[in-house]
This record gives sequence, structure tokens and C-alpha cells, in this order.
Amino acid sequence: MAAASRVFAFRDARWAPDPVLEPSAAVRTPQPVPLVIDNGSFQTRAGWASADPAVPAEPLLRFRSLAARSRGARGGAGAETQVGNDLGSPEPLRWLLRSPFDRNVPVQLELQELLLDHVFQRLGVASQGCVDHPIVLTEAVCNPLYSRQMMSELLFECYQVPKVSYGVDSLYSFYHNKRQKWPCSGLVISSGYQCTHILPVLEGRLDAKNCKRINLGGCQAAVYLQRLLQLKYPGHFAAITLSRMEEILHEHSYIAEDYIEELQKWRSPEYYENNMHKMQLPFSNKLLGSTLTSEEKQERRQQQLRRLQELNARRREEKLQLDQERLDRLLYVQELLEDGQMDQFHKALVELNMDSAEELQSYINKLSLSVEQTKQKILQAEVNIEVDVVDSKPETPDLDPLGSEQSLEDVESINEFEPLFAEEQPEVEKPVAAVQPVFNLAEYHQLFLGTERIRAPEIVFQPSLIGEDQAGIAETMQYVLERYPKEQQAILVQNVFLTGGNTMYPGLKARVQKELLEMRPFQSSFQVHVLT
Amino acid sequence: MNENKFLNTDSSTGSVETTVKPLPFKDPNFIHSGIGGAAAGKKNRTWKNLKQILASERALPWQLNDPSYFSIDAPPSFKPAKKYSDISGLPANYTDPQSKLRFSTIEEFAYIRMLPSDVVTGYLALRKATSIVS
Repeated sequence: MAAASRVFAFRDARWAPDPVLEPSAAVRTPQPVPLVIDNGSFQTRAGWASADPAVPAEPLLRFRSLAARSRGARGGAGAETQVGNDLGSPEPLRWLLRSPFDRNVPVQLELQELLLDHVFQRLGVASQGCVDHPIVLTEAVCNPLYSRQMMSELLFECYQVPKVSYGVDSLYSFYHNKRQKWPCSGLVISSGYQCTHILPVLEGRLDAKNCKRINLGGCQAAVYLQRLLQLKYPGHFAAITLSRMEEILHEHSYIAEDYIEELQKWRSPEYYENNMHKMQLPFSNKLLGSTLTSEEKQERRQQQLRRLQELNARRREEKLQLDQERLDRLLYVQELLEDGQMDQFHKALVELNMDSAEELQSYINKLSLSVEQTKQKILQAEVNIEVDVVDSKPETPDLDPLGSEQSLEDVESINEFEPLFAEEQPEVEKPVAAVQPVFNLAEYHQLFLGTERIRAPEIVFQPSLIGEDQAGIAETMQYVLERYPKEQQAILVQNVFLTGGNTMYPGLKARVQKELLEMRPFQSSFQVHVLT
Repeated sequence: MNENKFLNTDSSTGSVETTVKPLPFKDPNFIHSGIGGAAAGKKNRTWKNLKQILASERALPWQLNDPSYFSIDAPPSFKPAKKYSDISGLPANYTDPQSKLRFSTIEEFAYIRMLPSDVVTGYLALRKATSIVS
């Protein structure tokens, strides 16, 4: 039974910077053409709204609504602000990234100004002192008055825009994507980056009193997924980044039609093996300390041993020299005594801190003995070094190669007892261990995605998964529908329209249909539309 | 007529020493009123965040049924929440009394008992089930 689970790699794509576009002449003649800006908390998209075929009827600019102000190294003077796709990759600057949005409302209008600057500059707005074109801008549902005031101030006073029209992005989508047979009324479910809206539209007009907003969207799903994986793989904390989470959500997640049933399927090990996705994190083969093969390790140990031995030999020679000098001085003093120069002798004794001639004599004896021993040791060490070079057996593993605190005696004792340690060599050699980690390394750097594939998108249906006490999409839909009389409920349910970035999961349409089936009266009809 | 100044692309050497060149379509003397500027002095440098904006909006004279940003919030759920295991996400019938984590199988229980305490707090925080008094 071969494991059918596949290994996927993260793309970790970098963003290409936006070029400065040259608009065709049609945007300015006969009249300046409206500029459409979809100002979203996830992405900002901008383009021209012109009937002329030379002007493409789609967004020319598409970038994440992020800006980063990196402090220049030259004392603040070189501070650069990068907007949108100029950032390249969001991960290195993750903590510097700022967005003008707080949930789905722009509050930091300085950053909004930066984003608009970027849009106007890259679209090639050529006018001096003002932006000539009327602007169509998207805003949140029931945008707070303060925020609209600030936005209008920015547009009218800073950019001198002639006309502005605000609209709700999901309603634009509803209006644009309406097919011939669809009615003009319907229930729009718009799930974005930060929140999800349920908007009833009657006869083409939004019924604002009965709209509802759930404060969960793609951003919360990404953060939830990130925390789940970080808790499951604490060793890869830093590698589990938000951009990679977004990649997983976009490509490997789906919404289960029946959540409980789907989870029961995941209980069985076979299903798990077949459907688990393994995400491969990038890794390098170098681990600390085990890059060396066993021969290289032996080489290293021998080198260090040799160095230690040389150090010891040098110390011994210095000691020998010092002792020799001292011995000479003492002998000289003794000669003073023998020569009969008592005064000088006594003075010298006092200098040396000694009391009598006998003490001097004993001192001399001791010193000469130690000098002899040192000379012996030096000779012996030289002999041993030669033996080492010829012998070159692997050293004992007890020797810590980095331990320079080895005392002289230990090193020498190891040299002397080398024949004894020779027997322990073969058992302690570990060439096998060097082979195994290479195989496990790739697996160690893999993230296994099992139920996480359905848990993360499920939070808009069951906010209790993250501890939010708001109702999920299904319950909120029911709540909104119940505020209408039965006839209008039936009308609304005939055209349930799903839109927004967070609705692009496979399996969402089936799920919404199942929820509607559960909440609508027996044998009543409904229609769900999703743009494919 | 076409007096576009190319900011970041080719004048990278020039803009290092000088300040950013003003964009042609902007009014260079514009100051946001929201940030205070000279009138409010040094206190109100920062923007209001969403909570403050909504708090001051609540104070305006709304009618009962007027839609506003905060009246659109979805109501809390009436149905009891289903319990899922913190580790695997499967439906969980059992809770560990020591760490308050939910689990569904014996292997998960063994795994939970071996977790370090920061991972345990992490799982509880994910569910917003951390206790205020530790």
C-alpha cells in the first residue's frame, strides 16, 4: 500500500515591482475618464473606466495594501518607504509592514495617502497640481462617518479630485455579474480579508437596516492556521510564516460540505494517508557539528592533541628555564657562603626569604631535582609525539575535541595508556549515525496538513473554533432572513450570491446549499450562485 | 505636458541625499486635519483607531433603526458550540482536567500529557479559554 500523500513545496513567490504605466490618450480626451480604485484591506486594485477599446477594462494595478517605512542606515535621512509590490517579499519586513486599515475601515490616512500616491504615480496620472479624473472608491458597508470624512478630505484637499463616488465592493460585484435570468434582489454573502457581510438587496437597492457583519475573514483564518501549525511543530516556529499560510489556504484548503462527517472520514488512517498534504519547508543539509565524516573528526582530534602537546612542551621548557635561573642564583649564593663573604651571604638570604644555610641547601636540592624531572618529561614527550605520528590510531571518544581545559597530566596519561584504549575503538565508532540523519532530514522539515485543511476555513461557519461568540454564516443568514416576511424571504433566497476573496474555497457552494436546505421550509426552492 | 517625475526608479542615487521629490498631482502643503497638526499641539499626533472612532460614533444622535457600523455587527450565536479536539480537530467528548485541553482519542491524551506548558497555553489561547487568574 503505497502512501499516496504528496509532498508540496512552498512557492514563496516574490512580488514584481509595478512599472510606471503610460496611459493611452483616450483617458484624457474628450474628458478625463474615471479612475476606479478598489481599496481593500487585502489588496488594492486600480484601473480606468473607459468605454474606449484601447483602454483595458480590468485592473491595471494590483498590490497588497501594505507599506513599510524602513529606517535608512544613514541616521534617518535615507528612510525609504516602499509600497505594495515594491516590497518584493513581505517576510523579511514583516514587523515593519503597516496597513492603513483597521479591520476593513481605513483609519491611518497617512498610509492611505502613500497607497494613493503609488496608485496615481504608477497609473501615469499626468496632471499638475491635481488629479483630474473623477474617482470611484470602495468603502466598508456603513462606513463610519469619521472615516468617510477623512477620506473625502484627503481626496478633495490633497489631490483636488473633481468628483468622488463611494460604493460597496460586493454590491458592485453583484451588479456587474448579474446574468440575464437572475432577479435584481438577492442575498449577497461577501467574505473578505477581515470580515464577512450578509447583505440583502431588494429591487437593486441595499436594505442597509438588515445587513449583518461577522468579524472573521481570510486574515483570521491565516492566523489560526499559523498558530495551529506553530503549536504542532514548535521547532519550525520561524519558518511558519503568514505568507506560507496564505499559500496553504489558497491552494490546499477546502470547505467540508458536512463538517462532522468529513471529520469522521479523517479518523481512518487510510483516508489520512491518502489525503494528507505534506508541505516541504526549505532546509539545508548542514547541521551544527555533524558535517564532518568520521575520518575528518579523527583528524581534528589528532590536530588538537598535537597542539596540546606542543603547548605543554613549551610550558615545560619555560618552567625549566625559570627553574634553572633560580637554581643558578641559589648556587651563586651558596658560593658566597663557601667563599666566606658572610655579609653578602646574609643579605642575600634575607632577600630570598630564607633563614639559614641548611634551608638554602635543601632548597637547592629540591630545585635541582625538579629540573631533572622536567628534562626527563621533555624527552619523553618528544618520543611520544613521534610514536603518535607513526601510529595514528583513532583517538578515544572520551576526548572532548573542544576541551582545551585538558590538564597536562590527562593528555600525557592518555598517551601512555593508548594501547589499553585501542580495544574500545571499534565499538565506539559511529559511521552509521552519520548516514541516518540525512534521510530523516527531509521528513523532519515537512509539515503534515490533515484536518487543518478544513479547520482553518471553517471559522466563518463556526466562530466558536477560535472562541468568538458571534454567530457563523449559516446562523446569521437565518437571522437576517427572519427579519423579513415570508414572501420576501423566498425572493431573497432565490438569488444567494457569494463573492469576495475568502469565498474561493472549493466546496463552499455545496456547503451553503446544505445550510440553506436545513434552514428553509420543507420543499422550498433556493439558488446559490458563485462565480467560478 | 507630460511632466511625470520618476521617483523611485532611476533617481535612486539622487534621492538618497535629498528629501523625496514632491509628486506633481498633490498639493504639497496638505496636512491631514485628523492628525491635529498645529492646532492640537503635540498631544494628538496619532490617528484614532477603529474602537475610538466607533465610540465617538455611538454618541451621535441615531434613530432606532438607522444602520451604522456597530449596529451591523452580527448577533452572538444562540446554538451551543460544538466541542472539537484541540490537537486534531475531531469531535471531542473528553477534557483533560489538568490542562483543560479537549481530546478525542487515547493517543491524543498521551500526547497532551507530554506537551510543555507553553504549548498547552498556546492551544488554550487559540480557543480563548485561558483563565485570567492563573
